[in-house]
Amino acid sequence: MRSRDFSGGLHPTVILWMAVGMLGFAVLPWYGVEDGFFGLSWLFEGYPLDSKLAPALVLNLKGEKLWLAPLGLLLAAPLLLWGRQKSDPLFGKLLVAIGAAGFAWLLFQGFAIGLRGWQFGWLQSLFGELGDRQFGMGYGALLVGLAFLFLFSIGLAARGAVGGDVFVVSTIAFVVASVGLFIFMPILQMLANALITEDGSYSLTTFLGKLSSPRLWSLDCLAGGSRCGVAWNSLFLAVLVGVLTTVLGLVFALMVTRTGFRHGKLLRALTVLPIITPPFVIGLAIILLFGLSGAVTQTFSELFGIQPTRWIYGLPGLLIAQLLAFTPIAFLVLIGVVEGVSPSMEEAAQTLRANRWQTFWTVSLPLMRPGLANAFLLGFIESMADFGNPLVLGGNFDVLSTEIFFAIVGAQNDEAQAAVLAIVLLAFTLLAFYAQRFWLGKKSYTTMSGKGDAGMHPELPTGLKRGVYGVAGFWVAFTIFVYATIFYGSFVKLWGVDHSLTFAHYVKAFAVGWNEFGIHWKGSAWSSFWTTLQIALISSPLTAAIGLLTAYLLVRQNFAGKNAFEFGTMLSFAIPGTVIGVSYVIAFNVPPIELTGTGIILVLSFIFRNMPVGVRAGVASMSQIDKSLDESSLTLGANSWQTFRKVVLPLLRPAIVAALVYSFVRAMTAISAIIFLVSARYDMSTSYIVGRVENNEYGIAIAYSAVLIGVMLAVVGLMQLLVGRRNIGRRGHELSQSRTNVSQPAFSGGG
Amino acid sequence: MAEIKSNAASVEFREVTKVYGKSPVPAVNNVSLFVEAGKLVTLLGPSGCGKTTTLRMIAGLEMATRGQILIGGADVTHLPATDRDVSMVFQSYALFPHMTVNENVEYGLKFSGFAKKEIGDRARAGLELVGLSGYGGRLPSELSGGQQQRVAVARALVLEPQVLLFDEPLSNLDAKLRRRVREEIRDIQTKLGLTVVYVTHDQEEALAVSDRIIVMNNAVIAQDGTPRELYDAPADAFVADFIGEANIFDCEIASVADGLANVRLGGLETKLDARGMAPGPAKLAVRPSRIEIKPAGSARTIPGRLDKVTYVGSDLEFMVGTEFGEVFAVSSDVDAPFVPGQDVGIGFAARGPVLIRA
Amino acid sequence: MKTVLLRSAALAALMMAGGASAQAESLTLYCSADEAWCQQIKTGFEEKTGITVDMTRKSSGETYAQVRAEASNPKGDVWWGGTGDPHLQAAEENLTEEYMSPMRGELHDWAIKQAEAAGNKTIGVYSGALGFGYNKDLLAKNGLPEPKCWADLTKPEFKGQIQIANPNSSGTAYTTLATMVQLMGEDKGFEYMKALHANINQYTKSGSAPIKAAGLGETTVGIVFMHDAVAQTAAGFPIVTVAPCEGTGYEIGSMSLIKGARNPEAAKKFYDWALSAEMQGKAKDVKSFQLPSNKAAAVSELTPDLSTIKLIDYDFKKYGSSEERKRLLSKWDTEVSTLPQ
Repeated sequence: MRSRDFSGGLHPTVILWMAVGMLGFAVLPWYGVEDGFFGLSWLFEGYPLDSKLAPALVLNLKGEKLWLAPLGLLLAAPLLLWGRQKSDPLFGKLLVAIGAAGFAWLLFQGFAIGLRGWQFGWLQSLFGELGDRQFGMGYGALLVGLAFLFLFSIGLAARGAVGGDVFVVSTIAFVVASVGLFIFMPILQMLANALITEDGSYSLTTFLGKLSSPRLWSLDCLAGGSRCGVAWNSLFLAVLVGVLTTVLGLVFALMVTRTGFRHGKLLRALTVLPIITPPFVIGLAIILLFGLSGAVTQTFSELFGIQPTRWIYGLPGLLIAQLLAFTPIAFLVLIGVVEGVSPSMEEAAQTLRANRWQTFWTVSLPLMRPGLANAFLLGFIESMADFGNPLVLGGNFDVLSTEIFFAIVGAQNDEAQAAVLAIVLLAFTLLAFYAQRFWLGKKSYTTMSGKGDAGMHPELPTGLKRGVYGVAGFWVAFTIFVYATIFYGSFVKLWGVDHSLTFAHYVKAFAVGWNEFGIHWKGSAWSSFWTTLQIALISSPLTAAIGLLTAYLLVRQNFAGKNAFEFGTMLSFAIPGTVIGVSYVIAFNVPPIELTGTGIILVLSFIFRNMPVGVRAGVASMSQIDKSLDESSLTLGANSWQTFRKVVLPLLRPAIVAALVYSFVRAMTAISAIIFLVSARYDMSTSYIVGRVENNEYGIAIAYSAVLIGVMLAVVGLMQLLVGRRNIGRRGHELSQSRTNVSQPAFSGGG
Repeated sequence: MAEIKSNAASVEFREVTKVYGKSPVPAVNNVSLFVEAGKLVTLLGPSGCGKTTTLRMIAGLEMATRGQILIGGADVTHLPATDRDVSMVFQSYALFPHMTVNENVEYGLKFSGFAKKEIGDRARAGLELVGLSGYGGRLPSELSGGQQQRVAVARALVLEPQVLLFDEPLSNLDAKLRRRVREEIRDIQTKLGLTVVYVTHDQEEALAVSDRIIVMNNAVIAQDGTPRELYDAPADAFVADFIGEANIFDCEIASVADGLANVRLGGLETKLDARGMAPGPAKLAVRPSRIEIKPAGSARTIPGRLDKVTYVGSDLEFMVGTEFGEVFAVSSDVDAPFVPGQDVGIGFAARGPVLIRA
Repeated sequence: MKTVLLRSAALAALMMAGGASAQAESLTLYCSADEAWCQQIKTGFEEKTGITVDMTRKSSGETYAQVRAEASNPKGDVWWGGTGDPHLQAAEENLTEEYMSPMRGELHDWAIKQAEAAGNKTIGVYSGALGFGYNKDLLAKNGLPEPKCWADLTKPEFKGQIQIANPNSSGTAYTTLATMVQLMGEDKGFEYMKALHANINQYTKSGSAPIKAAGLGETTVGIVFMHDAVAQTAAGFPIVTVAPCEGTGYEIGSMSLIKGARNPEAAKKFYDWALSAEMQGKAKDVKSFQLPSNKAAAVSELTPDLSTIKLIDYDFKKYGSSEERKRLLSKWDTEVSTLPQ
């Protein structure tokens, strides 16, 4: 009844991927076309005979680029399997061999032959001058690469890998290949770039010289000198921000859950604000308030006759701005953890004669350790990668992220120097990542068994409660003050000079007119606004998709190398955006993958930067779904793709919303990576805002930010509406009420 | 109206071993078994004995590390669950919470290439078979535990699988319901002539529903037989103790003749079925109900002292201290005149004691 | 039926051919000035000629690196704007094309001089002189004298009142350093930078940041190109621009044709247009107050008149070379930046 065997011919999936490969090889242009991925003008510009636009097959027939010919032969090779069954051992073996060989050759020829012929010296000496060259790969190469990848997967599955499941094996192969291509390869290229000297050769001594430069590591400031090394500055600031955001986040979490505080929703809403605020804006508001001529500074100096100073520039200002921006993230991580500590544990401690203080210190707090560690790590990484605030508020307190930026765009234009700095930055964050794992060790902090827990969280000790209220109250007041300033600032003619109210900034940025073609987007911000919206809307479902697929693999499947797989997919969590940006510029500026200046590179950078969040949201919520649901679907005859589609996905709706919202918001507000990747054609809101800030057009920058905040709120609401809730009746009600121990952070690093 | 039929097929394991990851201990060790078509066979054993792993290997949810699995004579060792014609009822029922009862039952049919009308008909027939006609529009969460269980059965049945698997299907039901549902399962199985493999750790349940029971222990099969064989002639001390309760005595086979063994237990001598054993040390298993409490000094008894007498309603339970250790006995004569501290003699009812290997 | 099909196919082919030819005229422009100015140029040229311009805005250093990387497969056609050094360097490395524009007669001498220094592979399109600007409100509030000369900035009362960019990251600040070295001689020049160092409150990353801070009242004085200071005044900030009495250095924003360009004809059209008075006169509309190289170009009254400024004879060749740059920067790093403030 359920027989899916077929007789004769070739397995339909194999035929499908052969066809896709052939389409790529024989029909579509092999190399990248000029007018972008979605442009179609190439159809009319000499295709298919023009060498620039020809498919590989045509090139080969013309006698050009003969190194592509083996790919065509390999694509045809599965025909050897004609008439063989999937269970035939040769079937799997041959497909694996063909897929691997094809993919490897595709990559090898891409890297070996570049714009200037041979790329590797040894090939040059082996074969002599090539006398030919090639550009970046295009549609053709993409399809051929996919075809080889999936033929390889079908072969592996036929050999019995992961229960012989083609969907799962293909997904694993796909995720591994994309993570390899878009995370590992750029990072490795960047590492290699750090070794390049000015004359283009590689030198370890130059690299070590740069790495040990006193500009990075000097400890002068301790010895009374003027300043310390950039690396120390970054590290010091990041540790401070990590610790303080964790403390503040914990304070809020405790206030919401353990003091009978009634306005938890309001506090949550308030804490979301900084997360959806574009960078720079907070820093800018702080200057407008506390700078030398800031409103607060001036008021104080008039009231008390104090000489205004520039104290805000440097560590103090950075600290304030980053605390404002990153505390909400710690709060969101910690509230789950604080709620997740089983009340029974605390009640047990109290029945064992611990008072409330002792209970808090000996039971509650230690049980929150994973959450505290995660919150710290997030604060640490966010601070390390923060780019906007140091640029505005840094003063003479140099940090790595801005140094990296100016190493590339400044007068030095020294990619190798940027790479060296990026390595230091990466080393710090990876160290923090491992320190966190080490600290948590293998102890179990899980206190929820999935069974109902009827206890009540004890209230905080009175002294602590007062402290908590005090700190939180101050913070909330401060946040409101800053945001009110921002809002006011967008309506002021020229901050600090002319405070008359005006709509001019909104008009200038977002004016709309009519002309003969219909609506005319006159405002200067529209172009970057639409681009941003488009890129964010494209990248966020893709991010969610790859993140949830990966989560599905991690939670539901067992396969060799799963640990390495997990590490690989989570790696970008620890990579600051600045580093991603630099490495993408280095890796994708030249063939075989030429993406700089396109919208694709922005989408890719968002996908792979935000993917860990999708993974974590997926892992958390998938662990709540009983595995027997998948299994029963499988035994009922659905294959794993159908199971994923019909059973897992509908139950994952909350995780999907979380991943969508997060990646959307990130794409709208990110700056550290994309500042390197934007181009005239694909300018993003944030980089446009940076430009306005640089030009002193604060009014527009702030007005634009206010609009973005509104748009984000609207889109996020819309997403929730579209994806909807899962309708599972009573049980779902219980599910949503049952607390879970969120041991994984909901937000990843970088801004 | 469609009718649910059976495509019953046999299941065979040939020296199947399953090792999880790099674990040094196999979860299932070199197991061979055969389930005839149309029979209900129970896998019984304590938790961790490998019975669920065995079941999951039949389903294709786990892949055998070594050995061969055949269903209906065809080798399915490397086929994933999707491609096997096997359905399974899960301990948690695993009803899809976001689908109605109908959608749940139709789920598998949709992937089996049936016409739309056929799907509806079959689903209706399936629900009718388990007595849930009219519940199709509800969500699983709106059903009681017993009803959910029956939906899970219907969902599996409508596919007319070669083999139907049950993984501890009754463990989430209360005692009374358990009895009823297990009768229903057995009825449907015999009515349709299904091949069913049933996993449980409850020996009473196993005895009640099975054509045959396979007792597993430590990843291997301890004994394979009809309920009666298992109860009356356990292969070893483990089976004897696991299927019902048993008192195990060390004894000595003095001699064997014509398949009868001359067994010595303390001062007692008796002739029992030798079960192929040779003279030498052996063990004697005796069910508590087959032990008779007699006044001290009675003939053919072992002396002992009554430590405890417990009245449990239908029975009296005795704990008797003897030179062979504590002996547990049950008597339905609730009016027996024994009190704790009293010296008694214990004797064995006819066909009571069974020889097992030392 | 068949004929209808054939006819519509032919029509479609014709339309495609038409579309292709319309698309053929295009130009890839690398622009190294600020966004608004680059946009103005792009749309201006498109309107004037109907040629589609694909414009990429990057700093001159970045563009230079890109042009060098693409040497074997040039994608850009023309490179407009940005300080002259990278243009000279590109010319030296034969990355750019020699061209004698018919517009040359309308240009200032300094623009031609720039071209001649590079074998006519580049040309000056605008220039700007180095100077500084101060916030007059803040100056008054702090009771400071009006600074008129470079020397005024080293007076002790200006301690903590001055901002300049870090010469390591900013071409503006490097020009300042090179200017001091040429104006006073290397030793005296460095003495000056050390004295200035004592009064600096912050070395910014970007070259124009100091005057923006001054506009906001975050510092009193910012050392920048004068046109940047003027832009602040134009935006409404209380900034006064100063041309230092001792004389000062300057930059020449340049333009080059990229060698091996795909659209050389369109590039030359752009080149000539970019030197016209009409085009250059529009810069002031986007608040770019550099001095245009076409003598006839309209100039904002705010634009500093180079003829009234004492300009030094800036040696672009020497101070634009990477060895000299490196030497001066590392000297500044070790001798100046490490001093206490």
